[in-house]
Amino acid sequence: MRRLLWPGFAGLVSAALGVSTGQLVATVINQQSGPLYAVGAMVVDATPARVKEFAVRTAGTYDKPLLLLGIGGAVALVAAVLGIVAARRRWVGPTGFAALGGLGVVAALTRPGASGLDVIPALVSTIVAGAVLVGMLRAAPPTGSVGRTGVLNRRAFLGGVAIVVTTAGAAAGSQILGGAAARTRDRVRLPRPARPAPALPAGLAPGFVTPNADFYRVDTALSVPRVDADRWTLSVGGMVDKPFALSFDDLLRQPMVEEYVTLNCVSNEVGGPYVGTAKWLGVPLAALLRRAGVHAGADQIVARSVDGMTIGTPTATVLDTGTTPGTQQALLCVGMNGEPLPLEHGFPVRMLTPGVYGYAGSGKWITHIELSTFDAFDAYWVRRGYAARAPVKTASRIDRPGPFARLAAGPVTVAGVAWAQGRGIAAVEVQVDDGAWEPATLLPEPNLDTWIQWTHRWQARPGQHSLRVRAVDGSGTGQPGERANPFPDGATGWHTVAVTVA
Amino acid sequence: MRLPKFVAVAAVAAFALTVAACGSDAGDAQNANPPASAPSSAMTSSPAMVAGEFGSGCSAVPTDPMNAGSFQAMAQVPVATAASGNPLLSTLVTAVKQAGLVDSLNSAEDVTLFAPTNDAFAKIPKAQLDQVLADKEKLTKILTYHVVTGGQLTPETLAGTQMTLEGQNLMVAGSGANFTANGDAKVVCGNVKTANATVYIVDTVLMPPA
Repeated sequence: MRRLLWPGFAGLVSAALGVSTGQLVATVINQQSGPLYAVGAMVVDATPARVKEFAVRTAGTYDKPLLLLGIGGAVALVAAVLGIVAARRRWVGPTGFAALGGLGVVAALTRPGASGLDVIPALVSTIVAGAVLVGMLRAAPPTGSVGRTGVLNRRAFLGGVAIVVTTAGAAAGSQILGGAAARTRDRVRLPRPARPAPALPAGLAPGFVTPNADFYRVDTALSVPRVDADRWTLSVGGMVDKPFALSFDDLLRQPMVEEYVTLNCVSNEVGGPYVGTAKWLGVPLAALLRRAGVHAGADQIVARSVDGMTIGTPTATVLDTGTTPGTQQALLCVGMNGEPLPLEHGFPVRMLTPGVYGYAGSGKWITHIELSTFDAFDAYWVRRGYAARAPVKTASRIDRPGPFARLAAGPVTVAGVAWAQGRGIAAVEVQVDDGAWEPATLLPEPNLDTWIQWTHRWQARPGQHSLRVRAVDGSGTGQPGERANPFPDGATGWHTVAVTVA
Repeated sequence: MRLPKFVAVAAVAAFALTVAACGSDAGDAQNANPPASAPSSAMTSSPAMVAGEFGSGCSAVPTDPMNAGSFQAMAQVPVATAASGNPLLSTLVTAVKQAGLVDSLNSAEDVTLFAPTNDAFAKIPKAQLDQVLADKEKLTKILTYHVVTGGQLTPETLAGTQMTLEGQNLMVAGSGANFTANGDAKVVCGNVKTANATVYIVDTVLMPPA
């Protein structure tokens, strides 16, 4: 047993040192090139669509680390076996690690936007792991010698310490890296908008603007991309006359527009929380498209993110937004509620297309914009069955009283929001039980692309009651009452809240 | 022997850093903590873990994680949506829709649902069941009596007197993997996670005492 223990352990330690050194090196080159991350991303990409859908559905704050943990575990297992085999056949150790390293190299190179530099972390991992394994096996305690267990224990202790140090070091490294991205974010000085947003009208209720910390987040990023703004570039290409690229500073020198826009996620259930309003700062995308000269027939804009996500938006929508009174422009955003974009919301640059669900117009961590056609290219979520074109459906939500609230009889204020970006809200109606629909009072709407707040006074009588809300959009079309699931192009139905009045 | 001491100190320091890192991650996760959509769809990411269901009835739950009725799929969506994906609970789902409680259940925070199976509803004589389904007030009273407020009950905290949304108490007895509610409703599959509620599937419909 002891004969296996040390070599197995040596395999583990060398892999741990190798992987963490590689991850650390990746922090200075490109986080996505870290061997664990790169292989993780490759696994996600190589997984069959249906399994991946499941993975994405279950993907979240735990699942992504779990995937990385699983890959780490697999590497550990292979490494332990390598160590044991290498104790007898020395050459197996470095060769095995070279094979693992090769996988890391391939993974790093196949990441979107990979450069030759990205192979370095995996190569470093390979060299470190191979060298440490050979070294540790040379220093192996004589097999079967009783009385040397003290040495083994001390070595085991030191090895354990080494694992803790390197793992913690890698964690600290990615923290430092996070710090680095956070620092570049801290260093970003947002320019003053050439066209500031008009002041919000008086009479709005609290909660009109969603604070960044409370703004919903839905994405598939394995780890929140931490992009160095100094190295970030945006390329505009595809079906255009004059492709070009911009640095972050170039982008900041463009005339900036500031606007209030409500953004929502297609996966929001009726009455759900994945909707928010922010003051966005950015460069009108239409201006950049005009500079590039879009070919006739290029009906789709494909935005690519650093994490490989693709989001397709109708070119006409991007060019049309902001041209009719009250609508806001599609932007390449750099600011959110007066500060640089939070990392989770796409730092340094995200897209924002008012009037379409986020998955079809508002990609985060954008680096490439490619003019294409809907016939030629299916974006990420379209390949998974979601609609290629996804205008926001008219929706309304009761925020007060909450579900199953217990209320005292008498006057009760029912309040909430309603949205139909691009069309605006003309009316909101509230129904109690099977009573008549009554008009709610609308608070001011700053523009057609934000939600509107509404209130309704209700004389509550004792008993169980259902409160229901529906809206009419600016074109006079009522919110559909039939229940539809969020898949494939957004939920419909009138939000209904059950309350008890004592 | 100086070196190991230094290494140990470094290890402790590095470990402290890691812990700090985890702390801030947890904060992010709360805000990030995303969505929930139709079980057939994919655009979600929620931090739910699937583990710890118990009971003989669990074997009737679909095992393919792609199936909307599976534990894995249910964990990703709010409770009424989760139930609607599970073929064992279709009568309950019909009743919840009938009472207009879908949205309220989906957005209720931290509740526990005692979910009667189709067989449980089948124990009620059809005429009587139809009558209840047609009486929204009574139906609401019965359904809200199946929802315990004030937190998601774990198998460890399940037994005892529990306050329901309906307003009256529910008595849960038992331990381990054997629980009953109000004496005769047996938990056939318990500790099923959804995005906003923990579900205990029972073999008998619970009736509010008054």
